[in-house]
Amino acid sequence: MRYPLAASMLALALLAGCSSTPMTSDQGASVEDRTASSAGAIPTVRPDQMQGAGLAALRDPNNILSKRAIMFDYDSFTIRGEFMPLVEAHGRFLAANPQMKMLIQGSADERGSREYNLALGQKRSDAVKKSLMLLGAKEAQIESVSLGEEKPQCTERNEACYAENRRGEMLYAGEF
Amino acid sequence: MKLTDLFRYLLITLLAATALSARAQLSIEITGAGANRFPVAIAVMEGESQLPRGVTDVVRGDLERSGLFSLIEMGPKPVGETATPDFAYLRTRGADAIAVGTVVPAQSGKYELRMRLYDTRQEAQLDALTLTMTPAQYRITGHKIADIIYERITGLKGVFSTQIAYVVKSGKQYKLQIADSDGANPQTALASNEPIISPSWSPDGTRLAYVSFEAKKPVVYVHTLATGLRAVAANFKGSNSAPSWSPDGSRLAVVLTKDGLSQMYTVNPDGSGVTRLASSSSIDTEPAFSHDGQWIYFTSDRGGSPQIYRISTQGGRAERVTFDGSYNVTPRPSPDGQTMTYIARTANGFQIAIMDVATRQFAVLTDTGRDESPSFAPNSRMILYATEIGGRGVLAAVSSDGRIKQRLSVQAADVREPAWGPLPR
Amino acid sequence: MMRPAPWIALLAALLSWPAHAGLFDDAEARKEIMRIRDDHTARLDALESSSRASLQLANQIEAIKAEMAKLRGDVELMMHDMESVKKRQQDFYVDLDARLRTLETGGAGPAAQIDPAAESRDYENALNLLKAGKYAEAATAFDTFVTTYAGSSFLPSAHFWAGSAALQAKDIARATQHFNTVVNQWPQDARAPDALLGVANCQRAMGERRLEQNTLKAVISQYPDSAAAKSAKQRLGS
Repeated sequence: MRYPLAASMLALALLAGCSSTPMTSDQGASVEDRTASSAGAIPTVRPDQMQGAGLAALRDPNNILSKRAIMFDYDSFTIRGEFMPLVEAHGRFLAANPQMKMLIQGSADERGSREYNLALGQKRSDAVKKSLMLLGAKEAQIESVSLGEEKPQCTERNEACYAENRRGEMLYAGEF
Repeated sequence: MKLTDLFRYLLITLLAATALSARAQLSIEITGAGANRFPVAIAVMEGESQLPRGVTDVVRGDLERSGLFSLIEMGPKPVGETATPDFAYLRTRGADAIAVGTVVPAQSGKYELRMRLYDTRQEAQLDALTLTMTPAQYRITGHKIADIIYERITGLKGVFSTQIAYVVKSGKQYKLQIADSDGANPQTALASNEPIISPSWSPDGTRLAYVSFEAKKPVVYVHTLATGLRAVAANFKGSNSAPSWSPDGSRLAVVLTKDGLSQMYTVNPDGSGVTRLASSSSIDTEPAFSHDGQWIYFTSDRGGSPQIYRISTQGGRAERVTFDGSYNVTPRPSPDGQTMTYIARTANGFQIAIMDVATRQFAVLTDTGRDESPSFAPNSRMILYATEIGGRGVLAAVSSDGRIKQRLSVQAADVREPAWGPLPR
Repeated sequence: MMRPAPWIALLAALLSWPAHAGLFDDAEARKEIMRIRDDHTARLDALESSSRASLQLANQIEAIKAEMAKLRGDVELMMHDMESVKKRQQDFYVDLDARLRTLETGGAGPAAQIDPAAESRDYENALNLLKAGKYAEAATAFDTFVTTYAGSSFLPSAHFWAGSAALQAKDIARATQHFNTVVNQWPQDARAPDALLGVANCQRAMGERRLEQNTLKAVISQYPDSAAAKSAKQRLGS
């Protein structure tokens, strides 16, 4: 008798709990750390509220979505492991908010031909776009373009600066 | 035996004659090896004080800068077009040729310039012409005269009266400018707060195609210089860049990323009629037509590093052109079809190189290490390019044999992306 | 003694009836919630791991593409090297063949064997290459000419033009060699002054200004009446 009663109370507590606090798994550790990808908290944005609360998550410096830059190695077009959570967060955000549009601007360091660097920047923005689409974003949501070496973040001539300029920048409609 | 001897004798005389004539024709290039400048005297033109500025100075400046002439000092006394030059005196001064001229008022505020060019050794007239000009046209008139002298003496077309296009960056402002080939008389065709790159002249010199970032992404425009009107030639999803005109001016090769990756297409200058040129799973960019429109030279990283390839405009397989070094880009075939200039990364950095199209032999022409955007003069003799001196972008030119080097005086903060315009019609 | 137990039990039973029913619902709901939660977690995990796997796969494909491009580049280079080796081998063979033929027909001396028509044709062809501005090819053609027609009376001229062509093709060492051959072997030939001037040009091309000056002076002293001397004077004067 005491046991069922206790159980029913537990069930009630659980029912109440699921609406306010996240459930904790009692099946042991999950295979991955989901806090990094922030899969649980996808803010919904309405296109008519672009300047409003919807974009708050994109602007909140504590939210991973506020980060937009992905750096690339020299002569490389693969997304480094450290930037995977960032790409995943934006991919999910785009998937959950199909009305959101994104422009990805790829860049290259200043060494060499301007037009070839434009193509290198494009290869980087295309790599980001492809990854976002694998995460559920739709083709129509994303335009990937290149700025080549024309809009450097950093203008000094050293490897640190060059590395800073080999990037893909994710911008949402209204931000560019 | 006797007959053979006679034959051999005849043959020798014949060959000696051919050899001699060949030497006369090639004298500047071969025995002089470019070290010898052709000595020429340009007399002050009679009556040119009626003009705001002298034509003589323009002619002298052009010839001097070309690196192929040495000017024999003639003093300030004008020599008229009808005077017979003192050939014996000129020969003792070392002048092989002399130009004399006269400026006289003509109808409706215009002037007439009559000019003659003489060979002082043959004591013969090489050329004579009459040009009509407004006083303000003293510069272009001087360039035209320099062109004629240059052509008469070297056998190549002069390029002094051509124009060049380039981009000036000062602060956050970008200006697409057009100037005379000596950098004088700059005019701004486009001013923008966003970058402008890759200007390309239409073969008739009336239009410029270029890439502007004013839409926060690269878009190709075609700009009619006389009217200032622009048309979008390519604005597809993704990036649009690297415009290059076909020799007949009917088509524009461009690089689009609308189908993923930077790939080459051709479009009509008004943006219609998009056709894919080639298809690859790599970067294909910087297309440039050969002078006969048969080939498109381009840069591709299909082999793991950027190299120059060419493909027939009729289609077919791409053929690799550069094999030395790990970075060869920006191919620009010469207007005479003999050579191609490009940027090679060497131990000294990025340098202007030239390749003989037939033998594929190549040579580096410059000693600077940040060279970019080479562009041939219409006579294929000089290559205009952007480089950096003292941390500042400047324009420079080098002769296709590497002997003559010039720096173009364009008064500006940072100059880049030069393109040498065609011969005036 | 009457035990109240049945009553109490009955009462308890009556009272607990709804409780029993409620207990049954709770269990069901709890199960259902757990099931949904597990399902949700599993799906989410599956989704995330599958998208992560796709990302990794995409990265791998990118890496493989880069690797393939490098291999393609290697193949292009090897093909190119093979072509050049083939061509060079053919050139060697032609050269060897020509030398052997000269040896086999020897005795009478090479001069006697020269076909004048072929000689003039080859000379003219080489000269035409030079006129067309194909300097490297012209240099090679004149090279071949001087070895093929070792007894030719045009040797001084051929060496001179070979030097001029090599100088244009920026093969300074070869140019110097040819010009010196003319100066040393045929000092009285009409080409000798120009050849010596050519030596000066080579020295200038090498940046050897002092040597160049000496050579120019030699042109003036050895061939005072030549056009070359005049040109040398001009250059020394300027």
